[in-house]
Amino acid sequence: MVGKKKRGHPDIEELLARPWCYYCERDFDDLKILISHQKAKHFKCERCGRRLNTAGGLSVHMNQVHKETLTSVDNSLPNRQGLEVEIFGMEGIPEDVAQAHNQRIIAGFYQAEAERRATTGNPGPGGNAGGQPKKPKFESPADLKKRLAEHKARKEAEKAAGTESGGNTPLDGAQNSPLGQSPASFQNAGPYIASPAASYGAPQSAGYGSFSQEPYSQPAVAYQQPYSSQPPFSGPPAAGFQPQFSPPQQQYPPSQSFPPGQNYPGGPNQSFGAGSPPGSYNGYQAAPSHTPPAHGNLPNRPPSLPPAPGLPQRPSFAAPSVPTYQMQQMHQGPPASFQSQQNGWQGNGWKGQDQKAAMSSAYPPHSQGYGDYSTNASSVDDLVSGAAREVDDIDEIIRMAEAGIKPPKKGDSTTAPPQASETGAAPTLLEPIAKAETSGKKSKKDKPMKMVYSDNEISPEEKMSLMPRYAFIPEGKAESSLVGGHTALVVAGIVDA
Amino acid sequence: MAPTIQYELSSPPTDAVSAIKFAPDSPTRLLVSSWDRNVYLYDISGEEEGGKLIEKYEHRAPVLDVCFGADDHEAFSAGMDWQVKRINLDSGETEVLSTHEGPVKSVVYSKEQSILVSSSWDLTLHFHYLSSPEKETTVISLPAKPHSLSITSSKLVVAMAARLLYIYELKSTLLLTSQSNVASKLDPWQQRESSLKFMTRAVACMPNDDGYASSSIEGRVAVEWFDPSPESQARKYAFKCHRQPDPEGEGTDIVYPVNALAFHPVHGTFASGGGDGVVALWDANAKRRIRQYQKYPQSVAALCFSSDGKYLAIGACPGFETAQEEYSGEGTKLYIRELSETEAKGKPPKA
Repeated sequence: MVGKKKRGHPDIEELLARPWCYYCERDFDDLKILISHQKAKHFKCERCGRRLNTAGGLSVHMNQVHKETLTSVDNSLPNRQGLEVEIFGMEGIPEDVAQAHNQRIIAGFYQAEAERRATTGNPGPGGNAGGQPKKPKFESPADLKKRLAEHKARKEAEKAAGTESGGNTPLDGAQNSPLGQSPASFQNAGPYIASPAASYGAPQSAGYGSFSQEPYSQPAVAYQQPYSSQPPFSGPPAAGFQPQFSPPQQQYPPSQSFPPGQNYPGGPNQSFGAGSPPGSYNGYQAAPSHTPPAHGNLPNRPPSLPPAPGLPQRPSFAAPSVPTYQMQQMHQGPPASFQSQQNGWQGNGWKGQDQKAAMSSAYPPHSQGYGDYSTNASSVDDLVSGAAREVDDIDEIIRMAEAGIKPPKKGDSTTAPPQASETGAAPTLLEPIAKAETSGKKSKKDKPMKMVYSDNEISPEEKMSLMPRYAFIPEGKAESSLVGGHTALVVAGIVDA
Repeated sequence: MAPTIQYELSSPPTDAVSAIKFAPDSPTRLLVSSWDRNVYLYDISGEEEGGKLIEKYEHRAPVLDVCFGADDHEAFSAGMDWQVKRINLDSGETEVLSTHEGPVKSVVYSKEQSILVSSSWDLTLHFHYLSSPEKETTVISLPAKPHSLSITSSKLVVAMAARLLYIYELKSTLLLTSQSNVASKLDPWQQRESSLKFMTRAVACMPNDDGYASSSIEGRVAVEWFDPSPESQARKYAFKCHRQPDPEGEGTDIVYPVNALAFHPVHGTFASGGGDGVVALWDANAKRRIRQYQKYPQSVAALCFSSDGKYLAIGACPGFETAQEEYSGEGTKLYIRELSETEAKGKPPKA
């Protein structure tokens, strides 16, 4: 994982950690921005522009203020328009939707990484280097020598033990061929070398090697390099994949001193297939590290079970940073659909949904909606960045969020008046006068207030005019006449009123 | 967004500002009336030196309002000395047009009708016929003290105490007054009650002559339309503004009076200035706030857009608060804000 921090593109973990919008699948730098996006794009009343906090809040608002019924969430994807899911920021997203989103992110990530690699010719850092036939990764001579030495030592040991495994032989050849700089076999082996992928490849390749090497070369071609780490799992041999995991693990305990079932209770099959947490995955990872002493016993295995002869060759066994859901995805997703799914998300996949949307003409075309997004993005960003000079309710949210206060759910009910006039909520919430001012709703609306100038009868100017400082004494009149005149005015006012 | 330019005018009035008015033609000519008994004429161009004070016209008493006349060289002032004056800005000569029986609060000029209307706390409006000086001033009595006047090419809006609001149709009014001078009981075209519960502070008409905005001492602005049809009347609304959460009181708002309203002559949006020192721009049609400027150190007393809409002049001075025994307008400042092309432009109404 050297150089990880130097990359200009985001890590997959970073990508997965980004908040995203349930309704439009857009992702954001910050949860606060996501929330403001949702308020601006999905929870905004189209009648009065008021921004609510949730779809339910908007529905209530529309119902109470405008006497309209909200049927769908604005600007949302065709399958996300429902009001039944209560979304606020990242809260409330159904599990399956969240998983699908993560899969899409992962797919996009590998696609992007593949493209980067294709254009730069650089192998990916850490995680997924290999798999690129044209640009095989060479190990440094020192590593090669080291491995060669290890291999030789192992051979010696095997020979000494007289347990040379027939099943391993071809593999060993394949594995060792790079050491011998055999170009032809190198290409196949390449993907498994010098990358965490090799951590899978190594144990597996042993098993595969005993079948045939085709499964490897095929996926490598089919997927190009992006899935260098994936072909072993998601490629055609997927069916044969799971058994390959379990046998070694089941075998290790006996061959080592682990009590069976203690470290690997339940089958790895099960745990992997169910999207197991990394823990169980690591359990598998841990196994290889114990293999060196054990692998002398490997010949005991039936040929169909992949042994781990290659493992000792890689002392620096790094756990590939493959998240759980990716594992799950790899196991579950048929390779073909995976590929197309990826294209779908990356490319014009939305268009298919656009068409759907267009059919139900109730919704604006999504292409348009997306156009809006880009502009909205900037505007929201502008708002946020310009918070200092321009106070908005987005800004308020953000400030409150910073202060650790949950934004008030003022949108949830129209009984909450547009309070934050100072911060700008009011303009978007201008209510009809009849209701706001003259009807008997005041008890609901009234908030304790302190008026800076509260004399409802006499204007500040009139008061000022009475001050000696500003007093004017008409020429030829005594001071008393001013007072008298003023009193007369007041009297007249009363009479007239 | 390009940073908007704002600068302070040098040599501001020494006391509170009562009104700010831009000239009808030149966008850089500015009149300011002040409680320090002067009317100031500035040329605001040249931000480095903070504009230039062209002339100062001294009055006998605090000046409560000022306005330009037919051109950039004529002005009218209304003051505590009960007089409505015409000022020749070039020569400095003044002429008393009429004398009320109390301080004159406001004065407005209509170019189209060539009349000057003044309102006074003596509960009268004075109509001055500038095109026919021989004609006597018409006095129209009002039911309550007028607080603010606003005029368009065809209408005059008088906001009074007791939340009364009169709208005069200038043409018909002038026709009536031309027939007889006994127009003291002339009825307005429309009599309305303010939409706001508290005392009206300012009123300003839309440049397109469709309606007006009014503000109250209780941090609120109402927007209404002249058209008496139910459809148009249904469009009226009011909103809160110029309030701040009270740092001491839980959930309490400090509510400031909205002292000034000014419509943008080009875009039809309007600015409000409050006792909180905030100036906000609003889009009356879209019912949105366009922007809010950083707080001024003092209460905003007066606002005006230049005739081309490029400048916004802001008069800030200490606000008069409840039960204030002493008041001093010391520290009064004038700010000029140069607006970018779209700064005061409203967004198109949402389809």
